[in-house]
Amino acid sequence: MKYVALFFQYAAQYMKTRLTYRTDMIVEIGSDLMSQAVNFVFILLVFGHTTMISGWSRDEIIFIYGFFLVPFAIFGAFFNIWDFNERYIVKGEMDRILTRPIHSLFQIVLERMELESLFGVLTGTAVMIYAGSRLDLTFAWYDPFMMVLLVLGGTLVYASIFVLIASISFWSDSPTSIMPMMYNIGNYGRYPVNIYNSIIRFVLTWILPFAFVGVYPAAYFLGREEWYTYAFLTPVIGLVFFLLSIFMWNVGVTKYRGAGN
Amino acid sequence: MENMIEVKDLRKEFKSHSSRSGLKGAFRDLFTRQYKVVPAVNDISFTVKQGEMVGYIGENGAGKSTSIKMLTGILTPTSGIVRVNGMDPHKEREQFVRSIGVVFGQRSQLWWDIAVQESFRLLKKVYNVPDAEYKRHMNHVIESLDIAPLLDKPVRKLSLGQRMRCELAAALLHNPPLLFLDEPTIGLDVLVKLKIREFLKEMNEKYNTTVLLTTHDLSDIEALCERVVMLDEGKIIYDGQLDSLRSNWGEGKQIEFQFADTEVDKRALQPLLAEFDGVWTQGDRENVWIANVLNEEQVISEVIGRVVAAHKITDLKVHEISIEDIIRNIYEEGVTNG
Amino acid sequence: MGKYIEMIRIRFLMMLAYRTNYYSGILIYSINIGAYYFLWNAIYGEKSSIEGMSALQMTSYVAIAWMARAFYFNNIDREIAQEIKEGKVAVELIRPYNYLLMKTMQGLGEGIFRLSFFSVPGMVIVALIFPIAFSAHPATWLMFAVSLVFSFLINMQINLLTGILTFFFYNNTGLIRAKRVVIDLFSGLLLPISFFPGWAQQIMNYLPFQGISYVPSMIFTEGFTKPEIVHAVLLQVVWVLILLLPIQIIWLIARKQLVVQGG
Repeated sequence: MKYVALFFQYAAQYMKTRLTYRTDMIVEIGSDLMSQAVNFVFILLVFGHTTMISGWSRDEIIFIYGFFLVPFAIFGAFFNIWDFNERYIVKGEMDRILTRPIHSLFQIVLERMELESLFGVLTGTAVMIYAGSRLDLTFAWYDPFMMVLLVLGGTLVYASIFVLIASISFWSDSPTSIMPMMYNIGNYGRYPVNIYNSIIRFVLTWILPFAFVGVYPAAYFLGREEWYTYAFLTPVIGLVFFLLSIFMWNVGVTKYRGAGN
Repeated sequence: MENMIEVKDLRKEFKSHSSRSGLKGAFRDLFTRQYKVVPAVNDISFTVKQGEMVGYIGENGAGKSTSIKMLTGILTPTSGIVRVNGMDPHKEREQFVRSIGVVFGQRSQLWWDIAVQESFRLLKKVYNVPDAEYKRHMNHVIESLDIAPLLDKPVRKLSLGQRMRCELAAALLHNPPLLFLDEPTIGLDVLVKLKIREFLKEMNEKYNTTVLLTTHDLSDIEALCERVVMLDEGKIIYDGQLDSLRSNWGEGKQIEFQFADTEVDKRALQPLLAEFDGVWTQGDRENVWIANVLNEEQVISEVIGRVVAAHKITDLKVHEISIEDIIRNIYEEGVTNG
Repeated sequence: MGKYIEMIRIRFLMMLAYRTNYYSGILIYSINIGAYYFLWNAIYGEKSSIEGMSALQMTSYVAIAWMARAFYFNNIDREIAQEIKEGKVAVELIRPYNYLLMKTMQGLGEGIFRLSFFSVPGMVIVALIFPIAFSAHPATWLMFAVSLVFSFLINMQINLLTGILTFFFYNNTGLIRAKRVVIDLFSGLLLPISFFPGWAQQIMNYLPFQGISYVPSMIFTEGFTKPEIVHAVLLQVVWVLILLLPIQIIWLIARKQLVVQGG
């Protein structure tokens, strides 16, 4: 309960600060839109030269991309800790975090939140509506709930991978380039996994389970029954990975070396 | 009185990479790294009673901040026992840090972009301080530190002195029984320093707050602490009263002469101290020489008489050896020589 | 000149010190290339050629485009932005060197490191896993090398521009990010410019971006004829020269502003 209250306190504070730098916020939302547009354009360009990719049509692939944008946006708003190593370990901000009576990861989530990223939820929904209407998809009464559940699962998958990677910083003092690169890998979950070979498919499913952010859950709404097992696994994978990442984080904190040593 | 801090055989080791030099060395580092285990804190033990104000001093790299970080729960000790306020700082971190306040002079606790009082309000939520208590306690703190006019300014617009006072207020927001101050007066002007010292004394008297203070500015320690703990190379080399430090190692007097004659040098002066067991050291200005002699009337008068008779002087001062000199001597010569 | 060479060397050594970057980098770029390889193979399906490029050529294109990116890509824009925000630039301006040239040299040091420890071994590894066509003509390799130098310069200049813009938009991480995705698309990293619709190709002929990735990659995969190569490289040179102008102008304005604001 206290954590919820704190969250709103921070969020209110965040809004206040952001509204004083309005231009930055607009530029940021603009740049998000830009990168979403680039990916969208890529799909369109590719389908200018073909009609099907491994059995998926243009609109299905667009729908998968639209779904992907939603958990990605929520992840971006709260777990975008790519600069954790530099900001908290190298510069020693972790010292300050550790002198406060709140779980350290939660504090960092609060401090690093970027609520404007949530704009992507709108873009993603719009893209899904566009593709969905062209595909004449039908929805049952429980599908909105499924949507929430699968989106949450996907968000947790993304969040836990980044928390896991951030935890590495507690052990290794070298700035890692894995973080920015992870964004690239993450992008591949938004294409159907059956275009990849079995090893990559395995990695995207069980090691860096990015496929659970895009294609697997989206397959549920596209009525692709052959993928339903994976679709329903989404929240499970999300939870398991998240618990694992929290565990790694907690162990990592005990290995923290402090700055300037 | 109960012990606020209990430290026994506390040790912290760091693994450090040693990079080989040059291009070739860097290539080899790519594949194999050499590690060296360095104990930053080497089996130290001490206790601090409730209400004590203790100065924690040592040169850079002596292990000060590493041990402070273990006391505050930031770092996990390699071995040894730490009990602070009856808790294990690292294991019960979230519970433990409620009972301490921390000021890192070189690192801000406040949020850069928002007004000071907004930071306070966030911290109030973070520490779960009830409204009534916050009002009673913080009104007093704000008044004593004279920061009321600063509350609606964003931190980035404050001067260093203003910011430090706000940092201090932030660290005391939950009225902790134990306060860690790491270089709280670094870079501050004299007036702000005095204000901060006065405030700390007041908090100590009013709430019996225990204070552990690290600083390079020994005048802070002289003004606040009766006891000092001195570290060198990860070990405690002195733990005791500040006064006895002076009486044990600072018995001499320094007589400072400024000579009119530019030709004076050590060789010419040395015979003047012949049977007094004194030493000449060069002063920090031109033609200034200091005679370090025993603190005895007869010796002092005799030395002054001889020097004045032998050379023309333009100025003369007699002072006690300062704490800073004493500590420098201890570091240079070791405790046993005292 | 010595100090600039020294700067290249220092940055090179700095990069060497971060071995995790080195190990993870190749792996991750290879995964990237692999993912695109599968995507393109799926796109080609039964087709033997799209827009005059075979599937093999396309794989080689993707591989070389990414490995070349390892060479020209750097975070100098972010570094400059950081230094401006922290007020370090004011100090840098007092030093007896040209700040922008210094940053370029640092980027070059980083580039040389990544070329020798990242791109080349990375390309070898990728070639072992995926089918990639290497040209047998020394002339192709030579022209590729030449165009790679210019692609580094063009990308560097754009980085300098976005970096300096921090003077005007205090927090310009958004702009830097937007620039990055735009470059990935318009430079031809994600897909060759020839895959764009005709009107878009027309527009892109008037932009510097294709000089960054499309030109060297097409030369490498022998997708360009000889006159096309000469034309493309000349265009790169022209862009390097043109871009000098806005950099100088904005830099001058920025410095004036710096003097007024005092950092």
